[in-house]
Amino acid sequence: MASVVVLENVGKRYTTVKGKEIHAVKDVSLSVQTGETVGIVGPSGCGKSTLLRLIAGVERPSSGSIHREAAGGHFIVGYVFQDSSLMRWRTVYDNIKLPLEVVKKRDLGNVDRLIDLIGMKGFERSYPIELSGGMQRRVSIARAFVHEPSIILMDEPFTGVDELTKEALQTELGNLIRTLRATALLVTHDIEEAVFLSDRIFVMSPRPGAIVEEIPVNLPAVRDASTRSNLEFVAAAGRVRAKLLELHAMRVEAAT
Amino acid sequence: MAGVGRTTRLSLQGLAAYSLPVISFVAGVVLWQLLISLFRIPAYLFPSPSAIVQVFFTGHVNWLQQTWITLNEAVTGAVIGVIVGFAIAVVITLSAPLRKILMPYIVALQVLPKVAIAPIIYILLGFSNTSRVLLIVILTFFPIVINVSTGLTDVDRNLIYLLQSLRAGQATIFFKVRLPNSLPYFFDGLKIAVSGALVGAIVAEFVSSNSGLGFLILNSQYTFNTVAAFGAFTILTVLGLLLYAAVIVLARQLMPWYRSG
Ligand SMILES: Nc1ncnc2c1ncn2[C@@H]1O[C@H](COP(=O)(O)OP(=O)(O)O)[C@@H](O)[C@H]1O
Ligand SMILES: [Mg+2]
Repeated sequence: MASVVVLENVGKRYTTVKGKEIHAVKDVSLSVQTGETVGIVGPSGCGKSTLLRLIAGVERPSSGSIHREAAGGHFIVGYVFQDSSLMRWRTVYDNIKLPLEVVKKRDLGNVDRLIDLIGMKGFERSYPIELSGGMQRRVSIARAFVHEPSIILMDEPFTGVDELTKEALQTELGNLIRTLRATALLVTHDIEEAVFLSDRIFVMSPRPGAIVEEIPVNLPAVRDASTRSNLEFVAAAGRVRAKLLELHAMRVEAAT
Repeated sequence: MAGVGRTTRLSLQGLAAYSLPVISFVAGVVLWQLLISLFRIPAYLFPSPSAIVQVFFTGHVNWLQQTWITLNEAVTGAVIGVIVGFAIAVVITLSAPLRKILMPYIVALQVLPKVAIAPIIYILLGFSNTSRVLLIVILTFFPIVINVSTGLTDVDRNLIYLLQSLRAGQATIFFKVRLPNSLPYFFDGLKIAVSGALVGAIVAEFVSSNSGLGFLILNSQYTFNTVAAFGAFTILTVLGLLLYAAVIVLARQLMPWYRSG
């Protein structure tokens, strides 16, 4: 299977306005294969968003290298943000269409196809302010898929959504990824979310964020509400939780 | 029954929301009229509402013409001020060096009470329409610069990342993110600018004019024609309200996606 992105010893340091050096990401090596969904779980502040910005190419790593493979064409990402980040001055239709305008694709067929897939038919002309939080997340997800990107980068896509809506949205997102045969990288601090959506999970340490363990998720490709009570689901979530707790304990010990 | 109760309460609230300000205003005017008659205050000291209404029909002043002169100055100055202000806002958000070069002047103008410049503009440009319009431009461009440059800068970081990840250049980011993002800020600035335009027109006429509502007020002072001054106040209040309402209507038309608060 071909890789879509390969990270080799990627590190990122920031200098704050006060001149303080922050080591955000340390020595991260990983690869994402075509068609898989990889989860990265870590505590907040460990460099997850930074890692996605490096992969998206909006920031450059301070050390190491990132190889981006373009399957027939050029490498391009789809981006889903924590708080949906829609353009409030654009309708649902125009928000989803945005990436096609920027990459200058003429064929707008995907816009209607995605509106259909996310169940938002009839809301094409609505503005974000007129939508519920859950609907806004759906639109931001559709926007990430519309230009058929090489990889979908998701940054805590359902933070702040109520629990029931969140589970429904996770099921829909999983189905969408499978239907469109997309490759995805999901960063989150939500263990169940990572297990539910991923084929394998990397656990990240607190800052400087480094990958400390890879945990496979041996669940069937088709997942629904019942998956959450599957023994393998519970076991994988337990392993991720145990690792995160261990890292947390180590940090507390080091601090005392 | 519960439904009926709710409807009644809602309409009562609605009634209170719309009628209370009207009642308050009418009561104030009536009280004013009564107090003037009761204490027999002469019109040259403080005219009654009925005297102000009469002054519009006495024929000494061509109210339409004077109003037109002032409104024309205010609108001309505001339009130029808005265009200049918008251009400066774009320049200082897009170019860091130009921002640094222009900043001291912008800050200096910000803290200066701008009407203080009025007599000097009169010395520089004389007794002309240009000098009056220039003062209005100075008063109106400022809130536009401040608000629009905030609107162009204060954008959702994620939207910038999104466009950069799609390899959009600065121009695309400007037209697709920054410019539309600045619209609500622009209209907030425009609300301040239109009231500034009227202030500017009046002050400019105080120092360098022989016509317009500002000149009329100044002239009333010399002739003890207080009623005429109050007539001018009334017209200025109505003009201010109309300009403000026009901005709100325009904002609603151009930003159906925006709800303030
Ligand atoms: N542009 C920046 N300048 C300085 N520090 C930054 C910058 N971006 C992120 N950081 C710091 O890097 C660390 C990792 O941030 P982030 O990637 O947002 O973590 P996460 O997404 O896992 O919560 C944090 O301590 C954050 O304050
Ligand atoms: Mg983050």
